[in-house]
Amino acid sequence: MEIEKLQDRTNVEKLTTVLYPVLFGIFIAVLWQTQILHKILGTDTFTLPLPGRIISIIGDNHATILKNVGATLIVALGGLTAGSLFGYLLGIISTAFPKWGAGGLTVVSAFNAVPIIAIAPILNNLTKDFSKDANTRSMLAKMLVVMITCTVAMSINAYRGLTELKPFSLDLMQSFAASKLEIFFKLRVPNSVPYIFTALRVSVPACVISALVSEYFAEYIIGVGRQIRENIVLAQYATAWAYIFVACAIGIIMYLILLTLEGILLKGRR
Amino acid sequence: MKKMMKKMLPKVSAFLLVCILAVSMTGCGSTSTSTPDASSAAPVAAASSAAPAESVATAPAASSGPYYDESATAESVVTDGAGKGKVGNWGLGNEYEIKALLTKYGQPTDYLSQAFDMDGFDDDSILLASAMTYNELGLVTNSYKGGYSYGDKVKYIDMNDEGVAMLEDNIFCTSAFAKANPNTVKAFLYASMKGWKDACANPEEAAKIVFKYGSSVSSEHQSYMAAEVKKLVETDTKGTTVTDYGNMDDTAMQQTLDLAKKYIKLEDSTAADKLQTLTLDNIRDTSYLAEAIKSTDGKFGTPEKADVKIQLKWLPQAQFMGYYVALDKGYYKDAGLNVTITPGGGDISETTAVNSGQVDFGVTWVSNLIAANAGGMDLTEVSQVFQRSGLVLVYKINK
Repeated sequence: MEIEKLQDRTNVEKLTTVLYPVLFGIFIAVLWQTQILHKILGTDTFTLPLPGRIISIIGDNHATILKNVGATLIVALGGLTAGSLFGYLLGIISTAFPKWGAGGLTVVSAFNAVPIIAIAPILNNLTKDFSKDANTRSMLAKMLVVMITCTVAMSINAYRGLTELKPFSLDLMQSFAASKLEIFFKLRVPNSVPYIFTALRVSVPACVISALVSEYFAEYIIGVGRQIRENIVLAQYATAWAYIFVACAIGIIMYLILLTLEGILLKGRR
Repeated sequence: MKKMMKKMLPKVSAFLLVCILAVSMTGCGSTSTSTPDASSAAPVAAASSAAPAESVATAPAASSGPYYDESATAESVVTDGAGKGKVGNWGLGNEYEIKALLTKYGQPTDYLSQAFDMDGFDDDSILLASAMTYNELGLVTNSYKGGYSYGDKVKYIDMNDEGVAMLEDNIFCTSAFAKANPNTVKAFLYASMKGWKDACANPEEAAKIVFKYGSSVSSEHQSYMAAEVKKLVETDTKGTTVTDYGNMDDTAMQQTLDLAKKYIKLEDSTAADKLQTLTLDNIRDTSYLAEAIKSTDGKFGTPEKADVKIQLKWLPQAQFMGYYVALDKGYYKDAGLNVTITPGGGDISETTAVNSGQVDFGVTWVSNLIAANAGGMDLTEVSQVFQRSGLVLVYKINK
């Protein structure tokens, strides 16, 4: 009886945590479409077009928009995987050489402070001779930017996941005369899985943001971020808003996919 | 159950690792040809070893060297450059004349995004680079600080000669502002044109004045720019000399509007439809300039608004020397105006700044004004300062 009541309560809590933000979103959308929001912010429908118009632009241009979404996704996901793998590798190296590993990671985290706007044009120049195709080489330059932003979060979390083991578990393994390799694969790697997701919770939104920003400086004109800029400079605010909408959707959907994956893979762990 | 989970976990995590690895390998495979690892060291190494090989490989077939023959026609140069996908432009509304030129010679209208320096042209990643006669072309040919010293080793294709010229720097404000402040507009035009006349009579002096007010470039480049801008202000698209400064020539304006309708692609269908309905009367008003020119003393009655701001299209440089000369010599003050010149170049474009009332006047290209009006602004040009296009495509010749 008691347990059932408790479950009921958690179900209601789960429902309200989803319901309240959704209701708030609908509330804002209604204010927006009825132009009450424009009065509150003191703006006009030119700078802040109505949702209906924005959605109709997305509908009219879905082919062009999908092409740009594709380009942005390749950059974001490519940079995320490359950065996460590289970061995990750094984590492994610092675990293997603990004496300078932790110190090395501090240096790596200093990279986190590098503003990507500053390195994007530099990477454009460095990748110039990579390919004759401008789209390919600028794709690589953008991916490198994303990779740098994703590496740090993963390396620090991977290091923690590989070293912060459950009390006595390392002693237990050693008492079984387990080799270093066995300890690594049977204890350290499984232990690091939740930490990988902690890192991804930081780097998934970051990879979308840095992909959008790196497109601003890219040699080849493609991508959702680039379209936002081009349209704002050309005073096409409604179209720019359509791309802003799409950019938000990419970020939110990717985060939801991550949460779902985490829920499936870490079931029973948390 | 829990035990099973624990047993499963290493497998699951190993599977996850393999998955990530596989995805990254395929991801890199599509972009990388030399090294599967996308580390930042790889491109640096490639840069030093692959550069000479690449410049040989890009040699146009129909010429005797890596670049173009001195006698090559505009058509053959454009066709070759476009075929290699090595035509550059800055985009952001500067690309319509290039698109028109590519279309003229039956080429696809794709172009490379060009940075605001000429490094891409220097290292051959762009064979036909966009350049303004008064700015980038000078950097390419001249050997002063910041120049690339190509001298006569480059030639260029002029948009005016090719019949695809679109008019550039103008003076504009919102229609509402012009209607509400006619005296201010007339006085501002009178003083500005006096400034331009003065600047064109003494470009050297004008360059020094601009440099004094804060300059984005060296003083040598500033004087080069002043001399070139003078040509744009005093010559029309056909090469004829113009004496009435700021004149809005109907033929050139109509050509600009026609090309704009053809090459400005707007994804917003409402804006795209509006673009096609625009006429010259929707984008310019000649009445204010006509009265400003008629006046001999610059007195138009009390200005409705005495404190006015003008936002330039770019950073302070001799491209805008007329306004700086008018300010420095007190022409604005004589007209009863207190003028502030705001440099451009940020992401708040001059059209947006004027439309929102942050500034009263702006300097923009006619094509940008057309796009803005299609998008829902109500801007009107009150003077056309540059009488011909300053855009060229510069290319290296075999020498």
